Amino acid sequence: MQEAGSMPDTVRPKRPLKSWFDVRHRKVGTWAFALNRLTGIGLSLYLIIHLVILSLLLQGEQGWNDFVTLVKSPFFLTLDVILLFGFLFHGLNGVRVGLVGMGIGVDNQRTLFWVLMAVGIVLLLAGAWLIFTL
Amino acid sequence: MASITADQKTTKKVAGKDSAGAWWIVQAITGLLLILLLGLHMIAHHFVVEGGLRNFEEVIDYVSNPVIFVLEVLFLIVVTPHAMLGLQSIVMDLGPGESAARTITWVFRILTIVILAYGIWLAVALQNL
Repeated sequence: MQEAGSMPDTVRPKRPLKSWFDVRHRKVGTWAFALNRLTGIGLSLYLIIHLVILSLLLQGEQGWNDFVTLVKSPFFLTLDVILLFGFLFHGLNGVRVGLVGMGIGVDNQRTLFWVLMAVGIVLLLAGAWLIFTL
Repeated sequence: MASITADQKTTKKVAGKDSAGAWWIVQAITGLLLILLLGLHMIAHHFVVEGGLRNFEEVIDYVSNPVIFVLEVLFLIVVTPHAMLGLQSIVMDLGPGESAARTITWVFRILTIVILAYGIWLAVALQNL
């Protein structure tokens, strides 16, 4: 659950695009808001790329197997880890946003955020290990 | 219920005259489903497969399973509106005029339909390989 952020208007950037990349004097809530959106944009683009890549299957065995060989290179495996980071951050921050949006944990959302991020780091490390060792 | 949040206001703007937060709830529900479906997708497609990806024969064999087909189509049906609504609300946050906002809404609706149609067509086509 991604897009919706639970930022009060006081922390929503007044000039979104410029503000997202201006790292000065930012609180964690604003970072979470911006990163949620950046990962959301990235994951949405990936969805489309993923569908296009799956179309390779329609071209037959050679095209797909060549692709599989290519993406097993360390460069693409590193991209996989970045992708996994996007999934985990977006999903876990989305859990916080969803809970807070429903009135759960509103007073403790900073703690909730860091607990979920700790879970995310563990899952990211485990996932990265699997990506590079499978 | 907590006081209305910034993104609830954004989604209200996206939804026009719809009730406040309606689209935010759609995002929340699809997001919750995505945690389950994406988790399953990642584990089944990547984390239990030697080398992280199946070769051609393995993929075709895997996706021909009716349960997998249903799960993947369901995943597509959930993830596409979630992604497009999310992108739409980001674009709306840039403050387009009323006319532009209407156009943007339609562009994302059409994109949603196109992606869904293509994805489902692809899933069916893979069944017939």
